[in-house]
Amino acid sequence: MRKFLAAIALAFGFAGLTAPSLAATQYPLIINNCGREVVFDKAPAKIVSIGQGMSEVLFSLGLADRIAGTAVWVGPVLPQYAEVNARIKRLADNDPSFEFVVGREPDLVAAEFEWHVGQQGSVGKREQFAELGINTYIAPADCVAKINADSGDGVRKELFTMDLIYREIAELAEIFDIKERGDALIAELRQREARAVASVAGAAAKNLLVVFWFSSKEVNGDAFIAGKNTAPAYILKTLGAQNVVATEEEWPLVGWETIAEANPAVIVIATMDRRRYAADDPAVKLDFLAKDPVTSQLDAVRNKRFVMMDAQSMNPTIRTIDGIEILAKGINSFGLAQ
Amino acid sequence: MSGAVLKQQQWWAHAALVIAAFSLLALMIGLAVSIGEISIPLATTAKAVSNRLFGSVFELSRIHQGIIWDYRLSRALVAASAGASLALSGAVLQALLRNPLAEPYVLGVSAGASTGAVCVMLLGFGYGVLSLSGGAFIGAVVAFLLVAFLAAGAGGSSERIILCGVAGSQLFNAVTSYIVTTSANAEQARGVMFWLLGSLSGVRWPDVYLVVPVTMFGFAVSLFHVRSLDAFVFGTDAAASLGIAVRRVQVVLLGTTALMTATVVSMVGAIGFVGLVIPHAARFLVGARHDRLLPATMFGGGIFLIGADIISRIIIPQQVLPIGVVTALFGTPAFAVILYRARRTA
Amino acid sequence: MSIRLEDVSFAAGNSLIVNGVSLTVQTGKVLGLLGPNGSGKSSLLRLICRLRKVRSGIIRLGESDVTTLARSDLARRIAFVEQQATTETQLTARDVVRLGRTPHRGVLSPLGVKDDAAVDEALSRVGMEGRATQLWQTLSGGERQRVHIARALAQSPAELLLDEPTNHLDIQHQLEILGLISRLGVTCVIALHDLNLAAMFCDQLAVLQQGSVVAIGTPQHVLTRDLIGDVFGVQAHVETSPIHGRCNIQYIIA
Repeated sequence: MRKFLAAIALAFGFAGLTAPSLAATQYPLIINNCGREVVFDKAPAKIVSIGQGMSEVLFSLGLADRIAGTAVWVGPVLPQYAEVNARIKRLADNDPSFEFVVGREPDLVAAEFEWHVGQQGSVGKREQFAELGINTYIAPADCVAKINADSGDGVRKELFTMDLIYREIAELAEIFDIKERGDALIAELRQREARAVASVAGAAAKNLLVVFWFSSKEVNGDAFIAGKNTAPAYILKTLGAQNVVATEEEWPLVGWETIAEANPAVIVIATMDRRRYAADDPAVKLDFLAKDPVTSQLDAVRNKRFVMMDAQSMNPTIRTIDGIEILAKGINSFGLAQ
Repeated sequence: MSGAVLKQQQWWAHAALVIAAFSLLALMIGLAVSIGEISIPLATTAKAVSNRLFGSVFELSRIHQGIIWDYRLSRALVAASAGASLALSGAVLQALLRNPLAEPYVLGVSAGASTGAVCVMLLGFGYGVLSLSGGAFIGAVVAFLLVAFLAAGAGGSSERIILCGVAGSQLFNAVTSYIVTTSANAEQARGVMFWLLGSLSGVRWPDVYLVVPVTMFGFAVSLFHVRSLDAFVFGTDAAASLGIAVRRVQVVLLGTTALMTATVVSMVGAIGFVGLVIPHAARFLVGARHDRLLPATMFGGGIFLIGADIISRIIIPQQVLPIGVVTALFGTPAFAVILYRARRTA
Repeated sequence: MSIRLEDVSFAAGNSLIVNGVSLTVQTGKVLGLLGPNGSGKSSLLRLICRLRKVRSGIIRLGESDVTTLARSDLARRIAFVEQQATTETQLTARDVVRLGRTPHRGVLSPLGVKDDAAVDEALSRVGMEGRATQLWQTLSGGERQRVHIARALAQSPAELLLDEPTNHLDIQHQLEILGLISRLGVTCVIALHDLNLAAMFCDQLAVLQQGSVVAIGTPQHVLTRDLIGDVFGVQAHVETSPIHGRCNIQYIIA
């Protein structure tokens, strides 16, 4: 974290010395975002951020002082931003109302998911915001090659990659005319990714079967596991491992028969604060795996090859990098990377 | 002479029918154990069952053994019981309420189950002590009692009972929506609505030990009342004039159907269609007299739900379709066929 | 006496529907209940077979107070034919008549030979024996009524209560049914609208007005021009018919 801040300071320093001619944004700036052309006359001064992932990207770009309100929080904010976040008004833990959002008088509303701001947006449609002169920006990760037509998590047609997040960072940097900060952030994230990949470069990690278990509606019942194009799938691909399912749905409901038959080498278990389902609790998940007559026979369970990962790292956000690091560490600790 | 011979022939015909029904049920259970999300060779399945049932010692992967016995067989038995319970409840309610559209959830049971589940899920009622199923069962019973209380106060005629059931369902659905909307969790509320579609995925042997006796109990009580159910066909006054203790029969039968439905719903969610359509199909096959209709309905419900469960597990590879979708998808055209043929004979 | 009512009153909510009615019906005789709509005829019939509870007064069947009889005993003894009883269920005519045997069978015992015989006899008495296997839905209104009466007959009752049983019948069947009822030898109380038919087939008549009995006796005694004008609000001329020897009422239209 300190290294990161130092890098930023350095970048600012250089920016101050050199004339910011090529790096500066030319306004009016037109960005093609999720099928809509958004025009920026100048860098937005007040942002409302809907979606924890989006909020954390904005924090990482040092834009906390421009944020007038945040909403949709799945868990605690990344620790390094706890202080700045405490100073920002939290509109809602869940979906905020349209009026509440526009009441903060933002000139930009940034959303992580189309189901909050979009065609069937629960907060509002992009046109509604545009009528009030408010621009909207939606994370490319949620609309590129993704169909959000139904009320589930949606279906992803192409594998998610961190490039979508880097694109988000780059576009936001352009919008706010902070290109150097954006580039630095992207560079750092790429570096972390490369380091994690290198740590599991051993041949045994290739084609390791891994399942990401998010939660289940009933403890004994079918499980929500990561589909083939999700952020966890990207984590696996980067590390050279394999997913147990090949469906395009984000979080399909899969029976334990299928998972058991695949006999994954490692089980990644989501940890979260939410306790909507009994299976949200990682301890409950572990207990089920140990006691169920079928899963107790799996290699991963017999050898206790569990990786506990924060659920937010399983979302297509900058925390996916954390996910890569955590899984890599886990694979190494099980001695599977040699 | 011919009267006695006819009776004997009838008896043999009935016996043959019952044997055929049991055989069909056994076949369906066999299919449900052999077919699933992953393909297990039939020989393996037979060995696994034999190992557990007869204590043989065939060499098998323990995972396969577990899947066949602990997952699939328990699931098939629960499916059969749940289907039988729902269909039986539907038939009884259709007779008591004199409404061909009556079905097990008409008295607010499933709405109450959703509310109970949501209270445990989102409000943390009875945390640690009460499971989701327990909460759902309590919610179902509370809803039914409320509806019964309202109906008794409103006069207790069939129309009033149905109206009170509708009111009760709406009330509990509204409470569920309120709790879901105001709960401070940043996720889409889709998961709670799983009660509407049902799922057999979480069942294991302990569930079998609960639902099968409840189904048997419900069947025994209903069978005891076949005469009364027949007598209700022209209304409560006609039944009373035939010597039926109307109020007592209503309380006992409505209570029994509520118990069966609450048990099934709290265990596997609200599976629709079975309680509505199977009684009509059975009526079409064996007629409206309840001494034949009730057993036929139970077999029909059990067989249908096992079939729907098999389909839900194999129709999309590597995924499980909610069983309520399957029952509606396959039940609707079947029902259309029944209606069409019934129209022609009538 | 087969049926006796002693000062019976009945109210639904706040309105008094039957007000201090006392009457007797001799064993084997037919009593006709007359009165305009809302005079309490249907309620009175329902009180007699204990489908409703009296507010005050006693109803006796034979020597016993109706309220002391066991439900099944009551059903074996007295049968009730409603005005309109319909169903959507696909039943045959025979199935409906078989229902009448319900009070005679135990909970689980199947219907025996005696029951089948009673069903057959009931069907033939109403002239429906050829249509026994026809579906209820395919019968005409009149035929359905006859099946209902057969169901009541299958109960082998000692007393038979009928609420306007000839409403949907054509004239031939009206005469047939009423003739059948009058020849049954069973005590009958029958609510009717048609004054002439009541005069032709009933041994006694009781006229109700707003829940009270305003006249009771033989048809000649009861059906007078003044009473008809008073209770029914129509002008009529009453004379004895030379054809059947009973009253014949001719209505005078102004």
